[in-house]
Amino acid sequence: MLLKRQIPLMIVIGVGLLTLFGNFINNEAVRGFVDNDATQWFDIIASFAIFLGALNMLKLQLIKIIKKQKNWQYSILAVAGFAFAIFAGFFYRGANFITIADIQDGQLAIVSGIIAEELNETNPYDIKTKIMGSQDEYEIDKLFMTEGNAKLFMEKLTPFVGVINLKSKPWGAHVQTKGSLFYWMFINMITPLGATMFALLAFFVASASYRAFRIRNFEATLLLVAGIILMLGRVPIGNLIPWWVVSIMLMFGIGAIAAPFIKERKILLGIVSGGIIIFIIFGTLMGWNQTPPALLSIPIIQDWIFAFPAMAGSRALMIGIALGIVATSFRIIIGLDKSVLGG
Amino acid sequence: METIKKIFIVLGSLDRRIIFIIVGLSVLIPLLKPEWVDLPIRPTPESQIVFDEINKLNEGDKVLLSFEYGPSTKPEIHPMAIAILKHLYAKNIQVYGFALWPDGNFMSTEAFSEVSDDYDKKYGVDYVNLGYKPGGEAVIKGIASDIRTLYPADLQGTSLNDIPMMKDVINIEDFDFVFSLSAGYPGSKEWVQYACDPKNIPLSTGCTSIQVTDIMPYVENDQIRGILAGMPGAAEYESLVEAELQKMEISGKPGEASGMMAAQSIAHVVIVLFIIFGNISYFITRKKNRKG
Amino acid sequence: MNNKVIIWSVLFLILLGLYVLGEGLIFVEGSRVKFAAILLVSITIYYYIDRARSGEEIYLRTIPGLKALEEAVGRATEMGKSVLFVPGISDLDQVETITGLNILGHVAEHTAKYEASLNVPVSKSIVMEAGRDICKESYLRAGRPDLYSDNMVHYISDEQFAYAAGVNGIMQREKPAACFYLGKFYAESLILAETGNSIGAIQIAGTGSMAQIPFFVTACDYTLIGEEFFTASAYLSKKPELLGSIKGQDIVKLLVMAMMVLTVVLNGLFQTGWINFDILSYL
Repeated sequence: MLLKRQIPLMIVIGVGLLTLFGNFINNEAVRGFVDNDATQWFDIIASFAIFLGALNMLKLQLIKIIKKQKNWQYSILAVAGFAFAIFAGFFYRGANFITIADIQDGQLAIVSGIIAEELNETNPYDIKTKIMGSQDEYEIDKLFMTEGNAKLFMEKLTPFVGVINLKSKPWGAHVQTKGSLFYWMFINMITPLGATMFALLAFFVASASYRAFRIRNFEATLLLVAGIILMLGRVPIGNLIPWWVVSIMLMFGIGAIAAPFIKERKILLGIVSGGIIIFIIFGTLMGWNQTPPALLSIPIIQDWIFAFPAMAGSRALMIGIALGIVATSFRIIIGLDKSVLGG
Repeated sequence: METIKKIFIVLGSLDRRIIFIIVGLSVLIPLLKPEWVDLPIRPTPESQIVFDEINKLNEGDKVLLSFEYGPSTKPEIHPMAIAILKHLYAKNIQVYGFALWPDGNFMSTEAFSEVSDDYDKKYGVDYVNLGYKPGGEAVIKGIASDIRTLYPADLQGTSLNDIPMMKDVINIEDFDFVFSLSAGYPGSKEWVQYACDPKNIPLSTGCTSIQVTDIMPYVENDQIRGILAGMPGAAEYESLVEAELQKMEISGKPGEASGMMAAQSIAHVVIVLFIIFGNISYFITRKKNRKG
Repeated sequence: MNNKVIIWSVLFLILLGLYVLGEGLIFVEGSRVKFAAILLVSITIYYYIDRARSGEEIYLRTIPGLKALEEAVGRATEMGKSVLFVPGISDLDQVETITGLNILGHVAEHTAKYEASLNVPVSKSIVMEAGRDICKESYLRAGRPDLYSDNMVHYISDEQFAYAAGVNGIMQREKPAACFYLGKFYAESLILAETGNSIGAIQIAGTGSMAQIPFFVTACDYTLIGEEFFTASAYLSKKPELLGSIKGQDIVKLLVMAMMVLTVVLNGLFQTGWINFDILSYL
């Protein structure tokens, strides 16, 4: 019990109080711990903990494959993807590049031409200038994923250069270097997959809006109107919506507000249609076709909704959430809330 | 009349797969045929502020460009990164790349390689990419106090002492401007809280549309100077930069975001139409049920 | 005014005084307001915890989302389907994740009681370990340790959308009857909620991520908005001290509102030149 409950609790309370009040203590060591070390300790623990998660995932997927449980075929993909990423990160570097030096007299133009052709550049003169400008050796600006491909290219250059070397970007840096297998995997597999999942949101927003934005009551109507104005105002098409469309929307809005008070539907229809006609005639006479007022411009109404009601609501929510976080953190720091330790 | 009502009732209870197909087409067709839809892009005041802040910088100034986005948010934020780099390079401003997300390394590598050659910019002299370090806010605090304690070398492993443009750069106070390309946590808020506000360094940001409400309070308080809000913000900034580059008689490739705005606009209109049809159908059905 | 208020007020003033005296030597300069705010908040919350311990009845309004927790698990049991619990995609250093795991403990107790199967896919390894501990303890408390299995809480992926895809796959294949989304979420919130909606599950969500709250409100049956989510563990445990801390939190909110009004009024008077005191420069 001491090891499982009391000691972790003392660590939580001690570190919590130190981190909280350490911000106010004028001591290098304490400030250093609070500002840097505490976060870095967590990052180190989290980094080692990744093995737990990865092994757990592998174990579950392998059990599915071995026992041929339902949909075990998908688990093969999961394990294969995992293995490929490990291979690309830890075992296969790629990112091979070639350096040349000591180019024989009169061969510079030929070498530049060969390199330009390989790099798909139309002007070998730029490459010639870069070779002449390089001090010891010139690094050809192309990375090869396989040594085989690099050596094929080297064969073309070998007759014309004195020194030619095949090198690789250092381990670690290779994952960020164009031309490495890991980089290729990231750009050609992870990036499109991530972007595709994010793009699903567009479809889900459409179906969620279609289902949820119904005029059930006043608040729902307000949500609907604000949502439509923001959706249209945020994109360039909002600028194209003319003032009379906005005035029609405004009249419908007034009609919706007045509807509970006017029982006779024909009178309501008359008020709304009459209002629309008067608005349009008035606007045409006032020259709104050339200079529409700001109130009847969707982007400007959208800016206003963003800057005032939406901002006020989000600030209030932010303050509430911040206070919730403060209170929860306080309960944890003083050891009152032990549920995170398991009970 | 009855036929019209029946049509609306059907429209109001569409299978979600049909909605997905229609939304998909409304995005795909403008992307494939951008010339069919040409929409004017009006820069918002917030995008204009970002542009003006960067335009105020002088040749030789130092800008910290922080990449906090990944593959999923790349379509929204990467065009901003490209436009910002074009603007900075055109003004011969030195660019220092950092990343608070691991994916930021790939994004920064791609952005720099896409733009630097077009403007004849040399690595180590005109731009440098220091890359990602784990730690979130701790990294920002480290940059605010002493960059070399966190970054002994750049992304490729070259020591900072061997990079000419790192010579006089010790911490954030040596930068004239900070721009955060942010898709979440850690991001712009953390830059405000731990570096730019305490040290009074001007900061602007480009973020995803969903984050705008989170960040607007800081923009309103002038802690962040302007904001590029999602893809519309990227398109607005691209149009401002292209106009500026034309004035400077610099030619370049057009930005991606402007071309995608038509798709986003049509998709929004389609969603609004679905909402309207859904409501009309809801009223007709409700009236029918009441009568019945 | 009772004695405790006086004692705590005096303590507040003494500590603040000590800070001011020690500024520059032991304590950092220029953080008086921050220190005073932290002290005031801590003392207020602790005062109400103390009052609750002494036996004071604390009234809390009903939070529909939390009331529906047990109903949702019951529904899953009746339908013979599983319960899915998603504790967010952040690590244990976020308060929202800790809060989500606290609620997981309560949900796990219900699933143990009703013998419903529980599935907790997680995005971070440390959260997986913490989640396992919490579930094990809950099943033990409910008297059903035999029903617990480590595989209930399993790791999917650290990558945001890989995790969302994995959870979506679980929802589509297993079709849980109850889905709980309680933790820190980002853009994947709507993907999860809409998929849960499409399979007809009852959905209860709660998050401190402001931008995701509207998506959950649209797609879920119950949503814990803002502080409702953070009070959940206290609300469900019904322990007097924890309920007292919720009241303390509400009083702090009242103080913040009063401070905001005071600041607006004082700043207004300063702007019009009626007073020389600029409260904004002091804050």
